[in-house]
Amino acid sequence: MSTDQQQHLEALTKIVLNNLENQHDWTQIKVHTQANLARPVIFGLPPKRLYVHPDEQIATIKAEKDRKEPVPQTPEFEWVLPLHLAEKWSLGQFAAVFDALDAIPPSAAHSPDDEPDADDAEWKLWRGPKRGKRLLLATVQDDSTVTYYWMHDGLVKPRQN
Amino acid sequence: MSSTKPDRQVRISRIAGRYLVFDIDDVAYIRRNHGICAVFTGTMPQNPTQNVFLGLPVELYAEEAKLLAERKAGYIADDPADHLSQLKAMDTSARKAYIQSLNVQRKNAKLVFDEAKTQSLAKHKDKRKAKTPLRDATDQVSLPDGDALFDPLPAQPAKQLHVKEILPAVTPTTSNALIVPTGDHPSIEVPSSYPLYKYLNVRGYFITPGLRFGGDYSVYPGDPFRYHAHYLANSYEWDQAIPMLDLLTSGRLGTAVKKSFLLGGRDPAAKNRDQGDEDRQADGDLRVFCIEWAGM
Repeated sequence: MSTDQQQHLEALTKIVLNNLENQHDWTQIKVHTQANLARPVIFGLPPKRLYVHPDEQIATIKAEKDRKEPVPQTPEFEWVLPLHLAEKWSLGQFAAVFDALDAIPPSAAHSPDDEPDADDAEWKLWRGPKRGKRLLLATVQDDSTVTYYWMHDGLVKPRQN
Repeated sequence: MSSTKPDRQVRISRIAGRYLVFDIDDVAYIRRNHGICAVFTGTMPQNPTQNVFLGLPVELYAEEAKLLAERKAGYIADDPADHLSQLKAMDTSARKAYIQSLNVQRKNAKLVFDEAKTQSLAKHKDKRKAKTPLRDATDQVSLPDGDALFDPLPAQPAKQLHVKEILPAVTPTTSNALIVPTGDHPSIEVPSSYPLYKYLNVRGYFITPGLRFGGDYSVYPGDPFRYHAHYLANSYEWDQAIPMLDLLTSGRLGTAVKKSFLLGGRDPAAKNRDQGDEDRQADGDLRVFCIEWAGM
């Protein structure tokens, strides 16, 4: 990788990082680099939960009927892939990113609330073993607009908006 | 999907490069058992209708025709050539057999008509009976000879029905009785999106043309009569460079119509990598991703 390219990626990452921190109030944001990743990715904690799988929604409704109290919707750590609008990506490149990353970002692996006493309730599994690989495509335009789109690995049905 | 009648061979007529199915039973069969709903294209040239009211024949995508042929549930027939050669070669015995088969159809049609007629007659009889007491009461008082006037009418048509045995005219919708399937079937050229089509069909999804949601395919989790589409799908080559703007606009459009934008393609290197995984082996090496708006 040439230094020009490296500088470009660094700047891109910084724009997204600042945008997450200051416009979207994310916390514990970290830049994550890995030998088999073509560029740095970001992970962090959004202020509220960003994604609920439609099947988890069903599990939650069922669980809430039994629990008689709402299921906590604590935010989860999410992956973010910084991109520029002028870029072109192939399926192969996206596949390489997904293959290199775990479903759950490293910081989230020891989050306090789903630890030892976990009765493996269905709704809890969606935040652990059942969580599919997903990342936010953070696309930067020259006017520093950043748009965020989910990309899921595999067939993931749409949410009921 | 399991097929109840695996022996059924759907005749897919290739006419002017299009794949058409003319038999209504075949249309129902591929819809029920193979998740293929295809597109109704038939209309009357003199009186074209809105496309929601179109009828037979059904036009298949090349992908759908190929899938049926691969599953041995159907065969491709070069219809113009078959008709020309077989109709010219027809001898008198074949002609007689065909006319005989038409007569059988007409007799069957008559049976159906007669049954419908007796049913409706019985229905009307009930109605008339229900009303007669009232009318009788008034008629008998004012017109004592009214019975003589009205009696012959219902009796006459009943007699006539028994006398003339006219069979109804039948217009066959297929030429299946005329044409014998030949052994050689033309091969099918499919677009490069065929692997994606097959991947989705095998998983029980129904696929219709994607234009209405801005993609190659609209993908339904079941019969489109019952479900809304889940995805709008596009197929790409593994190394094809896709502009980010295309991905974002498709993702945005998908979200606007409560769908997910699905992109998929074949990984040429995946065959060796995923030897163990049965699911992956079945579709070769297909990989899909879904994009939707993050809402932030």
